[in-house]
Amino acid sequence: MTSALSSPLAQRLLRIPPAYYVFGALLLTLWLTRPQLFNPNVMGIFIRQVAPLGILVLGQLLVMRVRSIDLSGAGVILLVNYIISSGLFPNGTLAFYLFMSIGIGLSVGLVNGVLVGLRRSSAVIVTLATNIILIGVVQLLASGKPPGDVPGFLRDIYNSKVLNVPSAVIIWVVLTGVLSIFLSRTVYGRYVESVGENPTAAHFSGVPVARTVVTAHLLAGVMAGLAGLVQTSSIAVGSIRFGLDLPLNAVAATILGGVIFGRGDGGVWGPFFGVMSFAMLFIVMTTFGIQEPGKLIAQGSIILIAAIFYGLRS
Amino acid sequence: MHPNRSVETPGVPLVEMRNISKSFGPNRVLSSVSLTLAPGSVHALMGENGAGKSTLMKILAGVHHYDDGEIECGGQAERIQSPKHAQELGISTVFQELSLLPNLTIAENMFLGREPIALFGTLDRKRMYEETKAALEELDLKLSPGLLVSELSIAERQFVEIAHGIKARADVFILDEPTAALNAADVEVLNRQIARLKAAGKAVVYISHRMDEIFNVCDTVTVLKDGRHVASEALEGITESDLIGLMVGRDIKDLFPQRGANFEDVLLSVQDLKLQADSPPVSFQLKTGEIVGLAGLEGQGQQDIVRSLVGVFKPDSGHILVSGGARALPLPAREGIRDMQRLGLAFVPEDRKEEGLYLGLSVAHNVGISLHSQRPGLAWAKRYKQQVTDAVTSMSVKASSKDTSVGNLSGGNQQKVLLGRYLAAGMKVLVIEEPTRGVDIGAKSEIYTLLRQFADQGGAVLVLSRETIELIGMSDRIMVCHDQAIIAEMQAAEATEHAILDAALSTSSEANERAAVA
Repeated sequence: MTSALSSPLAQRLLRIPPAYYVFGALLLTLWLTRPQLFNPNVMGIFIRQVAPLGILVLGQLLVMRVRSIDLSGAGVILLVNYIISSGLFPNGTLAFYLFMSIGIGLSVGLVNGVLVGLRRSSAVIVTLATNIILIGVVQLLASGKPPGDVPGFLRDIYNSKVLNVPSAVIIWVVLTGVLSIFLSRTVYGRYVESVGENPTAAHFSGVPVARTVVTAHLLAGVMAGLAGLVQTSSIAVGSIRFGLDLPLNAVAATILGGVIFGRGDGGVWGPFFGVMSFAMLFIVMTTFGIQEPGKLIAQGSIILIAAIFYGLRS
Repeated sequence: MHPNRSVETPGVPLVEMRNISKSFGPNRVLSSVSLTLAPGSVHALMGENGAGKSTLMKILAGVHHYDDGEIECGGQAERIQSPKHAQELGISTVFQELSLLPNLTIAENMFLGREPIALFGTLDRKRMYEETKAALEELDLKLSPGLLVSELSIAERQFVEIAHGIKARADVFILDEPTAALNAADVEVLNRQIARLKAAGKAVVYISHRMDEIFNVCDTVTVLKDGRHVASEALEGITESDLIGLMVGRDIKDLFPQRGANFEDVLLSVQDLKLQADSPPVSFQLKTGEIVGLAGLEGQGQQDIVRSLVGVFKPDSGHILVSGGARALPLPAREGIRDMQRLGLAFVPEDRKEEGLYLGLSVAHNVGISLHSQRPGLAWAKRYKQQVTDAVTSMSVKASSKDTSVGNLSGGNQQKVLLGRYLAAGMKVLVIEEPTRGVDIGAKSEIYTLLRQFADQGGAVLVLSRETIELIGMSDRIMVCHDQAIIAEMQAAEATEHAILDAALSTSSEANERAAVA
């Protein structure tokens, strides 16, 4: 067994992020069992549901590639959601909500980045703490006043389609493409690669390590803000208790996509397919009539298998 | 204080190591080395850095396994499996890196892993305290067994380790540079303990660079050089210079390029660098075309001096001038390296795997990164195809392609990639630690030539190396460090290993005069 695994072919196959295998296997299962579901309308509806998660994952993979983590996504999404649905800004335009979401994300990202990148505090503790604070802030703001309706035009945009593809999915794919080009073509992308591979060597070769980590957290905050905007658009009425499992799912999808702390084997598209796998899992499970508990068990098992998969690499 | 140098007691040696060989990967660090430890003797183990002393002792202590040879303990052949096995055979070690756990008490450390169990399976603390107390008393130490190790001085910790050996009824005590961190008073106490062990018929192996101690404490000496056994003799009748002669004295091979000739403008000037508030000021200059070596025994401040120049070490004060740009020391830790690179000074760290290279990334990335780091993060990355190709070909890096992971290259090629990174970035001053560590002889020669070319083209190099022979061969000028100061300076063409070691070992101001004579 070990000798078979150490062969060059096996090792090359193990380099491919597990997300691709999982996605392929689920796609095949669906095609064999429910070929009638293989149409863009049905798939689009399901994939649209994971778009907020997909956008959040873009930030998560970035911070994980510089050996950090961001668990504050839920708080950011919640705050964005609350402000939009609270009726505090009844005349808000799309541009206003967009800037507000990005602004909230940038502020939270700045706090995380300064504490993790400059003060060298533990990323898990810092982002967990900012997350708790943000949830507390939302509950404080909402006390005695339940959130109201989400502006209709946001919902209209969410429900719109371009060339039969839901807008939310298009936004997600475009952001993924932009980040992919950004990381592969800019100097900053080289910094990220260097810091992820060896922070000490990065420092000695003149890479601004701290600035790279801070920027990653800023961008992760922006992505969380955008994820919050898309998430909010998908619901009619605001809530102060949703999306709390999103950040953990984002970490899971990122790992499934081949990005483990410091190792960016999956690039940007690996985690993309990690999220797609979760969408496919949702479809397959639903068609088999399996309820939420079963889905959670299946999702957890897939992540466990990914962990075993990484262990097989030499 | 001169304990009697007893003539070796005849009889069964406590430990006999015969023809021990050991390799780490392709590097052979010990070839057929023998060592005999007689009861009631204090045996000095000597040799330059990297001669194999520590490896030989780690084999005896069960930390490393030897490839070839045999070990007898008390006349019985033994294959030492582990540190625990070595302890059971009566071999006790006090390593340079202390191995006590600071957050446990002395007694808890003494019984670590072999805690006595009382009725009901609880710790027998009473027994632990009593036995620890007895062992400490044997050394005349008035320490409570309940003290936390973190509250002890370095010297006291070493005594606790010795007491640990006594408690385990060890016959052989290995002391690896025991006095490196001790003050004079503690050295006295330690020497008394060693004499006591000797009188009790134990064997002590004593590793130290301090000549006076060797002659004070030891009765026998074994000299290693480049992993080979040079001599084992009674210390009586040997002079200090005999001993140094045994440790050095190999012929310099035709490894090195021609030395530089015209040194003109000052490129790097370091003024009044004080590593600590109370250490003496260090000042030196490097001119264009010049390669300057920094020599000295381990831990005498030379590494701190070079790392101060890029903000990795934080000295007390000083100034640095690099091709016109003046900065006050200490440099900021986060921006120091980038700032110096902007002025044209690059630092090449010693540990190329941990501090230098991105082993999992391509040759192109490893070379190109210092060019990238000089540009703003949001700019489009240039490909630097030409620069990377130039660096790879001019350094004759043997890699199947520029996309090969650096981790797959040999040590020599890795080192060339690392140097290539800073040469490609157009630096004027290179500060290099151990330019040829773990590199085979052919690649060494190429690296010397590359550095000389760099200097000839108007650069300057400051190089730190533990290999004295390398410093003499490649440098134009050598500065010798001792106790955080540069205590001697000599022209490399006239320097000898003997003179450098002499200067480095000496604590007196004679070193300067002797160096001047050499």
